[in-house]
Amino acid sequence: MRKEELNFTTVEQMEADTVRLCELADEAGAETWQKRKEQQQPQCKFGEQGICCRICSMGPCRVTPKADRGICGADAHAIAGRHYLRMAAAGSASHSDHAREMAHALLKSNPDSQFNIRDEAKLMRIAAEWGIESEGRDLYDVAHDVALHGLNEFGKPFGTLDCLKRATDERQKVWADQEIEPRAIDREVCTSLHMTHMGNTADAPTLVRQSLRVGMADGWGGSMIGTDFSDILFGTPTARATEGNLGVLENDMVNIVVHGHDPAFSEMMVLASETKEMQDYAREKGAKGINMAGLCCTANEVAMRHGVRMVGNFLQQENAVLTGAIEMMCVDVQCIFPALGPLTDCFHTIFVTSSPIARIPGSKYVKFETETAFEQAKTLVAEAIDNFANRDSKKVFIPEHKEAAAVGYPCEQIILELDGVTNSHGVLTVNGEKEERGSYKPAIDAIRAGVLRGAVAMVGCNNPKVRPDFSHIDIMRTLMEHDILVVTTGCAAQAAAKAGLMSKEAKELCGDGLKRVCTLVGIPPILHMGACVDISRMMLLATGIAKDWDVDITKIPVVGCAPEWMSEKAVAIANYVVATGLDVYLGIQPQVHGSEQMIQLITEGTREISGAGYTINTDPDELVKAIIEGIEAKRKLLDI
Amino acid sequence: MKKLFDRVFDGADEMYALAEKAIEDAVAKLGENTPLSMPNTAYHLANYLSYTKRQVTTISELKDAFEEAKTWRVREQNLSAVFRTGFGTFMAAETIEACKYAKSADPYEGNYHGHLSDAEVRELGVPLVTNDIPGFVVIYGRAPSDEEAVDIIKGYQTRGIFVFLLGEIIEQARRLDLNMGFPVRVVAVGPDIWQVAHIISFVNRAAMIFGAVQPGDRYELDEYTFWRIHAFVNVYEPVSDIVVACGGGAIAMGFPVITNDEEDMWAVPKSLIIQKTTPDFIETSLEARDIKLKITNVDIPVAFSSAFEGEIVRKADMRIDYDGSRFDSFELVRMAEAHEIEDHAIEIIGPDIDETPEGERLGVGIIADVAGKNMVKDFEPVFERNFHNFINCAEGIMHTGQRDIIRIRISKTAFDAGFRLKHIGEILYAKIMSEYESVVDKCSVKIYTRPEDLKTLRAEANAVYDTRDARLLSLTDESVDVFYNCILCQSFSPSHVCIVTPERLGLCGAVSWLDAKATNRLNPQGPCQVVTRERVVDPEIGIWEDVNENVFASSHGNLESVSLYSIMVDPMTSCGCFECICGIEPFSNGVVIVNREHIGVTPLGMTFPEMASMTGGGVQTPGFMGHGKHFIASKKFMKAEGGSLRIVWMPKALKDLVASKLNVTAKELYDIDNFSDMIGDETVAEDPEALMEFLAEKGHPALGMDPMF
Repeated sequence: MRKEELNFTTVEQMEADTVRLCELADEAGAETWQKRKEQQQPQCKFGEQGICCRICSMGPCRVTPKADRGICGADAHAIAGRHYLRMAAAGSASHSDHAREMAHALLKSNPDSQFNIRDEAKLMRIAAEWGIESEGRDLYDVAHDVALHGLNEFGKPFGTLDCLKRATDERQKVWADQEIEPRAIDREVCTSLHMTHMGNTADAPTLVRQSLRVGMADGWGGSMIGTDFSDILFGTPTARATEGNLGVLENDMVNIVVHGHDPAFSEMMVLASETKEMQDYAREKGAKGINMAGLCCTANEVAMRHGVRMVGNFLQQENAVLTGAIEMMCVDVQCIFPALGPLTDCFHTIFVTSSPIARIPGSKYVKFETETAFEQAKTLVAEAIDNFANRDSKKVFIPEHKEAAAVGYPCEQIILELDGVTNSHGVLTVNGEKEERGSYKPAIDAIRAGVLRGAVAMVGCNNPKVRPDFSHIDIMRTLMEHDILVVTTGCAAQAAAKAGLMSKEAKELCGDGLKRVCTLVGIPPILHMGACVDISRMMLLATGIAKDWDVDITKIPVVGCAPEWMSEKAVAIANYVVATGLDVYLGIQPQVHGSEQMIQLITEGTREISGAGYTINTDPDELVKAIIEGIEAKRKLLDI
Repeated sequence: MKKLFDRVFDGADEMYALAEKAIEDAVAKLGENTPLSMPNTAYHLANYLSYTKRQVTTISELKDAFEEAKTWRVREQNLSAVFRTGFGTFMAAETIEACKYAKSADPYEGNYHGHLSDAEVRELGVPLVTNDIPGFVVIYGRAPSDEEAVDIIKGYQTRGIFVFLLGEIIEQARRLDLNMGFPVRVVAVGPDIWQVAHIISFVNRAAMIFGAVQPGDRYELDEYTFWRIHAFVNVYEPVSDIVVACGGGAIAMGFPVITNDEEDMWAVPKSLIIQKTTPDFIETSLEARDIKLKITNVDIPVAFSSAFEGEIVRKADMRIDYDGSRFDSFELVRMAEAHEIEDHAIEIIGPDIDETPEGERLGVGIIADVAGKNMVKDFEPVFERNFHNFINCAEGIMHTGQRDIIRIRISKTAFDAGFRLKHIGEILYAKIMSEYESVVDKCSVKIYTRPEDLKTLRAEANAVYDTRDARLLSLTDESVDVFYNCILCQSFSPSHVCIVTPERLGLCGAVSWLDAKATNRLNPQGPCQVVTRERVVDPEIGIWEDVNENVFASSHGNLESVSLYSIMVDPMTSCGCFECICGIEPFSNGVVIVNREHIGVTPLGMTFPEMASMTGGGVQTPGFMGHGKHFIASKKFMKAEGGSLRIVWMPKALKDLVASKLNVTAKELYDIDNFSDMIGDETVAEDPEALMEFLAEKGHPALGMDPMF
């Protein structure tokens, strides 16, 4: 299809849908984030700059032109640095606690339940990596040992994390030399909180170094284990087709939306909704069937394992309810607006919370237990079906926009796709080595020759400080035009899906280099790698490329970008990406700019430690320009 | 290591410099206003036309066009710039070649093929769709040895791959006396890299002819060459920058380049492939271009490939000549009951080749008996007609004609390699069993050479042919329940669809209604589907609602309606590989028909390529229509406009071919005797004045008919 014929949904069209839904909110007497944002203006400048300290009850203390230190004597650098480290620690704790849940689920897995082993090969690979005997043993005995080993990583009293060994030798040496190798996952979170307690570390460089370390505990610890265990339990994702945006909601079906981050609960909901019993029950109640749809990172998880369609990303959670067409919204953990409580009260939507981690007023709380999960899910699906009759058709407005998306490209799938362009007759790669299957070499050759200029990991949230999705989409389109391959997770992925950029047809928007790669390999120009916890997959991807290329990871023309980041998890992620040796481009200011030293440390200082740092620019056009220049500069150093 | 993209840009600069010099030289020697064209094409300088829409006809226009081509050189580090520069390099190469043709109509004096004609492009239409030609290779440079040069060429040839040669490999092949030429699908294009322009011109014209790609439409051109033209390139070391620049253009078109040169070479998967083991070029290339070969293993001592279909065995080279024009000969397929056939039994009744003196002429009779649960008698002639294609694929064996007017020549080389009559049986057995596997379960072959047997058997065969002819005559558009469509050509002409009826065969001449029916039976999901004809709109013009619905759906919405019997109202479209084209001759109220083989100009002032360029690619052009040779004598031939009475001119060879049947039709429909004598040909007229004079003298009925528009 010609570029002009693509007709993908524009940001303006998405915004028009949002305006219409906000009008409906007014009519229903409901409140949305747009209104609350207005009420919050002006936002606290001290908070924004990270120079308001309320760590102890002597405070709060603010750094002003008159008062350059808090009561204890902490200056702007210490206050901002402590705040920054605490954000990273909270982010790391969140991903890691999610991972711990997965480890417990794996520990309870058995062949007769819905929690069984769906990727045996991956289980065996990890067992071998961790030195767990598997020869002649029962599969589930091995699984339980792997789970226990994983759980031990959270609190091991000695040593550093086992997953670090997956990195390149060069990286492992850097981490050891710089003393940022994470010890136990919980230890790093605990140490961070301890260091930032009143009367402890006031030295900004030390706080930044610990931020890297606690970030590493996430990316090379919690997140990596969480992702691996999810794959073992629910299957490693594979390429599949889905759709994205509010238009995936169906007028004549029971719409159930799963929202949050933890795949355990949503997996059960999807499996329950697919049973004949539930499908029949839905038809009995006058619906054409059950339409499961996902929101936020839970959407990413179920989309790439089941093709479940994606209703939207973080700032679209209220929009979904405002369509008036959702019978039930089931949430697990992270990024859930407390506003959903009062909002769902204005509609027939049943709001279900399922985790003791995320209890929200105005919700129906169903404590999700591994042993009874599937039955609980069936009960909830039945309840949603019963609720179909309560839908008020006068309140229903489903915007028509939706786009096709090809999702599910974890490292394993990327390698499989690359195998498809290898030649089995012993041809040479540019290194003069024989080409082989099961490697990233085809991609490396394309990068070296200049067909692809590089790759960017587009990640992160939405943030009302900028036009929602605009930065994601604008930057991605520019990168595509410049033959830069994009891998994506989280809310960035859903922005891409809504704009059609994750469809295979989107190759027409690319420069000839990326377009040709997409055509030959049969992939979309933006590869969906999963939820935000799956950014650990991206670290393994970059590591794999560096290993197959035989150069330091800091040298490959691959960088990360979070143009609309918002959460503490994003701070943890940015830290482990930098620690891994990849530059990170941010479109939202970290809340430290009340301290010049902190800004210098996170943009330049870390380069002395890990060889990478942040580039911050809130103008997406300038940010993408910086990315392209950064990538070309790396190419120049490699003389390619 | 010098960057790949810089090599392309530097190489392009070299080609542009040569082109600049060629133009200066042409201007100095011939002047700016000298006309300039490539021979036998309606597409001017096809590369310039495809890329820039420019119709270059003089040296001065070439000069202007070259100025535009210079803007295609873009020195930027991205693939779009490389692709554009590659195309620019092709225009520069075409400039150099065009200047040569401006100076001489035959600059290579038979030493090299040089420019390829439109007719040659069109001739490949059918073998491309049937996958008899699964792809094209361009080989450039000097192979490690002469023997290896011949091996790779023959290796491709036996796989059916069409071979274009450029540079030193041509001399290598010549030193070992390799038989080359368009008919055997090995074309020695030229000695230098810039003759690549002719190959690219060939591809670009295929896109315009078969794909209806409009000049200047880069998107459609790229899509067409990438998905429809299964070409690739083999280049031997050393590879210079100018060759890399051309490679950039080839890769832009989707044609991977495979080389054994490692020096400053950058591997790019499926695009630029480094293969140090040159004998593995073939397999490496086929995998790189995703070419799957249709292989039938035939147990014979000579090579077997569609590339040898066009091969001629001359008198001096022949071991034996089975000549049906002098001795009783025939071919026959008979349907039998399964229990009557011993599968794979091949019987030779009479003396074999080695029992016959060298150079002898005599007769031969071939009977293939087939049985199968899904076999029907109507398929007999369909299989039988393919004996020609099957037997011809053997290297050193030539077959012409069908039924009882066949000729089979076997060369001395084939005989020396061990070829005997039983191998004809092996060929027929293998091909019938593989091509028609869904309807044939068992097959046996008998070959007769004794004159007494041949006399009686030929008489029996004639009785069968007569019965079939009677059946064919009874098959009219009105007497059958359904028509068939044929979308075989959509693999390269994506919006064309043929409607095949008993009285109108496919325009390529290769698919009759019975063929279509057989194809449908052989593969119900295949290229020929049933088209009902129940809701008639106009039986005179040939319009049915259900036919139109089918045409709409199977042309992917490109065509809304088709009139089967008119060339003026929604005429049937063409893919581009039609045998003939007819076009209105305004002075006589008639039409001129010209076949692909005819080289001269018609009274319309146009040659076949020029007329053919008016239609094709699934586009309806009232007043012009592509069709098969045997449609001319059909009672449905432009029935809406008055039928075959409108025919005022045909090349003599074509007229001779269709005369007897056409005369029968004219007698039956219009009570005119020897109508074909009233039709002009190149021996009486090549311009409208002479034609009118001839028609008036003969009292041609078209002169008295109403104008067609």
